[in-house]
Amino acid sequence: MLELVDLSKKFKQMYAVKNLNMFIEKGEIVGLLGPNGAGKSTAISMLSSLVEPTEGDVRFNNKSIIKNPAPLRKVIGVVPQEIALYEDLTAEENLQFFGRIYRLKGEALKRKVDEVLEQIGLTDRRKDIVKTFSGGMKRRLNIGVAMLHEPELIIMDEPTVGIDPQSRNYILETVKRLNQEKQMTVLYTSHYMEEVEYLCDRIYIMDKGNMIASGTKDEIKRILSAEKTILIQADFWNDKFINLLNDNPTINRVIITEKEITIIVSKEINIFPMLIKMAEDAKIELNSVDIKTPTLEDVFLHLTGRALRD
Amino acid sequence: MIGIFQTKIRMFIRSPWVFVMMTAMSIGFALIIGGTGAYTAITIPVYSASEGIQNSVIGDILEDSDVYTFEWLSEKEVLNRLSNNKAEAGVALHEDDFQLIVGVETPTSKIIEQTIEGAYAKKAQFEQIVDASDAATVAEREAILDELQVSIESPVFTIESSSFRGTDAFIYDNTFQTLFGFTLFFVIYTIAYNVLPILVEKKEGIWDRVILSPVKKWEMYIANLLYSFLVGYLQIVIIFSVFRYIVGVDFQGRFIETLLLMSVYVFAIVSLSILLTAIVKTVAQFNAILPIVAVSSAMIGGAYWPIEIVESQFLLTLSKVNPITYGMEMLNGAVVYQYPLQELLFPISILFLMGVVFMGVGIHLMERRHI
Repeated sequence: MLELVDLSKKFKQMYAVKNLNMFIEKGEIVGLLGPNGAGKSTAISMLSSLVEPTEGDVRFNNKSIIKNPAPLRKVIGVVPQEIALYEDLTAEENLQFFGRIYRLKGEALKRKVDEVLEQIGLTDRRKDIVKTFSGGMKRRLNIGVAMLHEPELIIMDEPTVGIDPQSRNYILETVKRLNQEKQMTVLYTSHYMEEVEYLCDRIYIMDKGNMIASGTKDEIKRILSAEKTILIQADFWNDKFINLLNDNPTINRVIITEKEITIIVSKEINIFPMLIKMAEDAKIELNSVDIKTPTLEDVFLHLTGRALRD
Repeated sequence: MIGIFQTKIRMFIRSPWVFVMMTAMSIGFALIIGGTGAYTAITIPVYSASEGIQNSVIGDILEDSDVYTFEWLSEKEVLNRLSNNKAEAGVALHEDDFQLIVGVETPTSKIIEQTIEGAYAKKAQFEQIVDASDAATVAEREAILDELQVSIESPVFTIESSSFRGTDAFIYDNTFQTLFGFTLFFVIYTIAYNVLPILVEKKEGIWDRVILSPVKKWEMYIANLLYSFLVGYLQIVIIFSVFRYIVGVDFQGRFIETLLLMSVYVFAIVSLSILLTAIVKTVAQFNAILPIVAVSSAMIGGAYWPIEIVESQFLLTLSKVNPITYGMEMLNGAVVYQYPLQELLFPISILFLMGVVFMGVGIHLMERRHI
């Protein structure tokens, strides 16, 4: 349905996105994962024809949309990361406005507005001014606006940023329902690993403008099949312990946070006796040592040496 | 396009406070400053050295003077005022001549002298007319004088004279100066703050949403600019109407022409606002730059004071690229100087040209930057 071919975007002398290749098939939910600043929003802007790429091509049904974006624009709905709504208008007025610009009018517009309000759970608040809404409600309306013209492909750029868990859950369920009931194709970007894991059939992982991994959830997790992730917790760390970890040749990677250290080691290594010895030598008391089931977060750690939300 | 326009109007009705505030401030400032009488007639103390002068033809003529207010006092009071420097000149009026009492010879004293000489000449003229008649008694002479007065007030035919005016001759009317100046100044804020949402909508992604819809980009610009134009124009119509129909300023009979002329100025300011919006990156920058542009334009454009009193060649050169300069020139030309349309074509053309250039550059910058 939609394909990015060697897509790059350069701002001044810096590449925001470099040689991006990805495809989206009809009816899929595809995740685009990456930390803030990875280039996800730039990729989405190019993909939705809002920004012209410096190099490469965006193909919709095998035709380039760089010079002629109209066929793509007809069938996409975009949920931007920002709350792209008129805060001084009511929820209903916002939907009416965006419906009108998609040439909906009269009874059809009214019916569609009612339907969308129902889908996003804002029927009771339809007459309220948007600026009185909670963050979660604004996010839901932000999604509702993109659904008005029944797009075949909906592109969501971090639609759950800064909202409470309940609203977040509601949005995830709405996305799933849209995909299942209306066969809507979804491109979902996030830096929340668990959202992408829950929603998406296939996942692309970006970092610093590059695509660093892609595939189904299982395919991506298999990257870690030869390794295991161990989580070490203690009240404090000292330099000696960290040096011992870094100097140990059997440990492939060490990621340190305030109260946790994550290490990645080969699957066949029994690291426990070594860890206890190192802690004794460094005179620190360990609270726990756990082996984790690999997650996408671990894959990201493995690939970049950084946590997604660093 | 209509959808965008309707939404803008709906939001304007819901939150018209900038508009109301700027309109009220324009009216308030024009009333307060224009109404304080910054331009008032100079008061000249006079005393009658002979009896009956105040009630004679001379008294009547001096009473009618537009330039000076002649205040009748006693000789002592007149001299006191002069010695206390509370008056520039005083006058002692006799039956057939007068005495001008001045501390220092000034240009004003010459004009006072001319004014009073004129009154005496008029009196002599009246007396000669009466002498030439065959009136014998006082009653008959008074009857002839009354008849003469009636004839003067209802002449058989009138003569209209007109003169060429050089660029150096300048008429200052405080009411129009403040009304036009503050209207042109405050409308900049109203228009600019109605163009600003383009920047906000671009930053918040609303603009992108509309771009992805079937609405064409030119429709988006036209809807936004038409809305800003109409709001700015409405403000001017309200202000001028308040002064025309409530305060009673007659616009020298050119009210409708004045309103029509303002459309070119509003167009230029909408374009200037587009340019400013395109130059800045954030609302905070816009809020900082707008007062600088508006206030400095008003200062060098003649909105606060007549540009004719500015002598700095540098400021005068700067004023040539300032829409307010041409706005004031256009309004003063139409109302104060009563110029015909042909003579106003120069400021109209410059404003139109400014509008086209600012708009072109502004939209080009906006499109190139993709805020």
